[in-house]
Amino acid sequence: MATSVQHDLEELRTRALADLADAVDAPAGEIWEKTYLGPKGELTLFLRGLGALPADERPTAGRAGNALKRELEAAWDSRHRILAAADLDQHLAADAVDVTLPGRPPTIGAAHPVSQMIDELSEIFALLGFQTVFGPEVETAHYNFDLLNIPADHPARDVWDTIHVDLPGEIVMRTHTSPMQARVMEQTEPPVRVVVPGRVYRYEAQDASHEWMFHQLEGLAVDRTITMADLKGVLAELARQLFGPNRRIRFRCDFFPFVEPGVDFAVDCAICGGKGCRVCKQTGWLEMGGAGMVHPKVLAGVGYDPAVYTGFAFGLGIERMTMMRTGVDDVRAFAGNDLRFLRQFAGFA
Amino acid sequence: MRVPLSWFSDFVDTGLSPRELAHTLTMAGLEAEKITTIGDGWDNVFVGLVARVEPHPDADRLVLATVQAGDHALTVVTGAPNIASGQKVALALAGARLYDGHVEGQVLKTLKPGTIRGVRSEGMVCSEKELGISEEHEGILVLEADAPIGAPLAEWLGDTVIEFEITPNLVHAFSILGIAREAAALCDKPLRLPDAPSLSAAPTGPADLVTIEAPDLCPRYAAVVIEGVTVAPSPPWLQRRLLAAGLRPINNVVDVTNYVMLEWGQPLHAFDRDNLAGGRIIVRRARPGERIETLDHQHRDLSDETLVIADAERAVAIAGVMGGVDSEVSNRTTTVLLESANFAMGSVRATARAQKLRTDASARFERGIDQNLVLDAAGRATRLLLDLCPGSRVAAVSDVYPRPVLPREIQMPFREFERLLGVRLEPETVVDALARLGFGAEIDGDHLRVTVPTRRGDVTLAADVVEEAARIVGYETLPETLPTGETPPVRRDSRHRLSRDVRDTLVGCGGFETVSYVTLHDADVACFADGAGVGFLHTVPRDGLLRLRNPIQSDRAVLRPTLVPSLLEVAAANLRHESGVRLFEIARTYLPSGDTLPSERTVVCLAMAGRRDPIGRFGSDDRRLADGDRHPTDDGHLDFFDLKGSVEAVLDRARVAVRFEPATHPALHSGRTAAVLAGERRIGLLGEVRPDVAAALGIETTRVAVAELDLDAMLDLREPLAGVRIPRFLPVAQDFAVVVAEATPAASVEAALRAAAGPLATSVDLFDVYRGSQVGTDRKSLAYRVVFTAPDRALTDAELVKVRDRIGKTLKQRIGGELRA
Ligand SMILES: [Zn+2]
Repeated sequence: MATSVQHDLEELRTRALADLADAVDAPAGEIWEKTYLGPKGELTLFLRGLGALPADERPTAGRAGNALKRELEAAWDSRHRILAAADLDQHLAADAVDVTLPGRPPTIGAAHPVSQMIDELSEIFALLGFQTVFGPEVETAHYNFDLLNIPADHPARDVWDTIHVDLPGEIVMRTHTSPMQARVMEQTEPPVRVVVPGRVYRYEAQDASHEWMFHQLEGLAVDRTITMADLKGVLAELARQLFGPNRRIRFRCDFFPFVEPGVDFAVDCAICGGKGCRVCKQTGWLEMGGAGMVHPKVLAGVGYDPAVYTGFAFGLGIERMTMMRTGVDDVRAFAGNDLRFLRQFAGFA
Repeated sequence: MRVPLSWFSDFVDTGLSPRELAHTLTMAGLEAEKITTIGDGWDNVFVGLVARVEPHPDADRLVLATVQAGDHALTVVTGAPNIASGQKVALALAGARLYDGHVEGQVLKTLKPGTIRGVRSEGMVCSEKELGISEEHEGILVLEADAPIGAPLAEWLGDTVIEFEITPNLVHAFSILGIAREAAALCDKPLRLPDAPSLSAAPTGPADLVTIEAPDLCPRYAAVVIEGVTVAPSPPWLQRRLLAAGLRPINNVVDVTNYVMLEWGQPLHAFDRDNLAGGRIIVRRARPGERIETLDHQHRDLSDETLVIADAERAVAIAGVMGGVDSEVSNRTTTVLLESANFAMGSVRATARAQKLRTDASARFERGIDQNLVLDAAGRATRLLLDLCPGSRVAAVSDVYPRPVLPREIQMPFREFERLLGVRLEPETVVDALARLGFGAEIDGDHLRVTVPTRRGDVTLAADVVEEAARIVGYETLPETLPTGETPPVRRDSRHRLSRDVRDTLVGCGGFETVSYVTLHDADVACFADGAGVGFLHTVPRDGLLRLRNPIQSDRAVLRPTLVPSLLEVAAANLRHESGVRLFEIARTYLPSGDTLPSERTVVCLAMAGRRDPIGRFGSDDRRLADGDRHPTDDGHLDFFDLKGSVEAVLDRARVAVRFEPATHPALHSGRTAAVLAGERRIGLLGEVRPDVAAALGIETTRVAVAELDLDAMLDLREPLAGVRIPRFLPVAQDFAVVVAEATPAASVEAALRAAAGPLATSVDLFDVYRGSQVGTDRKSLAYRVVFTAPDRALTDAELVKVRDRIGKTLKQRIGGELRA
């Protein structure tokens, strides 16, 4: 091969590599590529000019030219990658945001805390084999009182301040979810295991702990072998599901005409661990509701033989459960429907 | 029921602190609501002796008293009219915290030494009000002669009062003695009964002293005639006990009847026998037109079901409720006829309700008092009266009690304890627990024979006996188990499930769920009424509206046939502090049914108003701009179409196929109201509220859109979920701009498009509405994107051209529409 050709090639190589090193950004790189490797680039023209060489020099010069082409292409490839990456980095830098700005809010609302608690209780009791059923809110005195062993001329009726509906017969806004005890038992053969959530109504002046409309959840289990220990076990399970795995349940003797024995039940205060604090009014216990063994007269009233069947029943205040768990301290907030109250329950449960 | 522990401890020593005692009784069913300490703040108050009283040198109404307490003698300036030398008084020294005797209510102040009209007063002689014992502040409190001079007053007069809530079943514990009996049983301590001598040795009165003409309402009546009585104020100890228990002292005779009622739970009444015509008692029903003036000076009409105590001529008391003024004990009374009787609980309750007169007596009688208490209480009252009135004597006793009540026997299998409680109790434990409560209990093989004292009328069944034993043993021993046996199938309630789905959907649409009151305001009734009736989706004739007889607020008595007014009220309240609201509620409406109970239909109600995006911190929002193409009137405020979007989302979720048609409602915007129809069935109504109606409800600044859907109807109409295969071949999208007359509803255009496009069209979506010069006046262009998919092949251009032609023709024929190129 003629020395001049070899020399030319060497000179081209040196210059091209030096230029490539000088190309500091993507546009400069594009120009370099065009200058040396493009269709009208120097190396392309050189290779094309090989035809003019004497035939015996052509193969050697061609091999040398192609080797240079592969070398420059490889050099370009690696240089190009670096430049492109640098270029992208520059774009991204320009596209930076203040990541501490708040997110773009999707439009999402919230279920009412009462619905959330009802759904949660319904789910817990389903796991314990209790079916959720619903009953009428406008109820006859027969179901609301008589079948629950609360006779008309008895002072026990005064325990429930009743709102009456202007209809023939004695029709009331149900004062508790208990009327469904009788309705369910009338329609089913034992065994029975149901919970009944829903609105209840009392003729009562409103204050931070009293509402005339609120929600309860009634529970009822009737079978041949249901005992008060079962009641305690089920309520302890409920307390642990709602308030934590170490909670304990306490029964206190109380009177409800439709249960005998009757108790109210409390859970030990999770905040102070039972030592006494402001939330539990220094007692260490928080009252959850009333419960007991279904009164034999209630069983007999729906045609169940009290000598064969026993049952337990309990009632919980839904708002009360939510208040105990969240620290809301005014029951009127629930029917108040202030969005500033409701919004905080978007993340509850 | 207020129980002063000084009184209570006459009958039992429990060895417990007040707090422990309250807890023990509470756990056993007698709930202690409050513990108050009398004398809690009486530091620096002592028992003093008034040694000398002299006139104040400089003031007519004041005196200087020299009061001796311990070794000191202090000078006190006072205006008390009743102060006299030799009295034992409550002497307060500087620093004592006393209630202000000269202002209403209880205001504490600290006593400072002061100079009154030139004389230095070194302390104060206190009135009852200043000590917080009663409201009495005319004169000073005078203590008993045996009060120890110089002792802290709290040691002599201090007391602790526990206030119990007595549940309706616990009449046996509606007395201090009854509560002491419970405490004795719980603590296993002996009970000391008060001194109540038997009256059986007393002279029997004339045969007609007491006549019971209504034995069904009065099973027993005892009268004790006491002569030589001097009516006077009761001694201080008796007054103090009554005050501590919450009753006002009146005179010794009346105070004794109240004292015994509080102590024994048996109401008593005292008549001035000289004012009883014929000196006789007749227990009978009131006569037609009979009236009485009761002790509260009310003239009362008596019905023929009212049981009265009468003399030979007229009613002198309403039995078990209140006495009459004619036979009231007064200062002139010398002969008292003391009544201790038992009246039927239902009768007393009915009378007290009819007369709107609940008294301490009626509250006890209506719970059913032990008939065997009558003579014990009479004996106790007689003893006290004879003690208080030296020289008085029992002249006659008559006890009419034709059918004495005997203790009830309950035979029960012993396994009943385990059957109900789920834990085995030892027979000895049960027998002991019952014995402590005064029950007889004998084990007889595998049975238990229980003798129930007559005061426990509430114990009639085996289950009652189980409770008595359990509350003495204590529930803390009860194990925790889970029910065994067959588990009935748990079925999910389909309405509850749909409610949850709908709630989830609406929460996802930005809605906040509300729980609002179930009554409507009278003003709402007017806004939501027309000729047909009152309501929204469901209407009720005005005279068919369900009303509460005793609503919490008199102008909110109507049970709602629609939730819309309730949600508008919530929206109005929230718009005071929110720029936009999206609310919904799933609840019952109450509709007349012609049956005993109304029909309760569950509906979903939605309300939206105000700004769509409460915070616009990202400036222009792509979604909103895109939406502006479909709804050119959009101004960033929630309107009919936001509402409709949520309604459609709910119906999609419920899988109910519907169409929307223009509709009207008296409260809604005439041009922005639609009915939701499933077939011919109207299952929903939505629209924007008329501005005048919204303003009446307190929303003036913005559009308000409301909807109501019948959830129960949706439940009936749910369609099965049809599984769709993902097509193997790519879909082809084509746009169709359809020019139609302005009046043509979009729904008609879409229906025509779908009909012509046939089953290959898998979706048809409106993406632009254009009005303007390119389509001419009174015309609009609706642009749809139609996606064509064939399940089995790639669609060819030729096929698509054919479909396009067919669409063009159909649009022209059906709705006079034209395809724009
Ligand atoms: Zn606590």
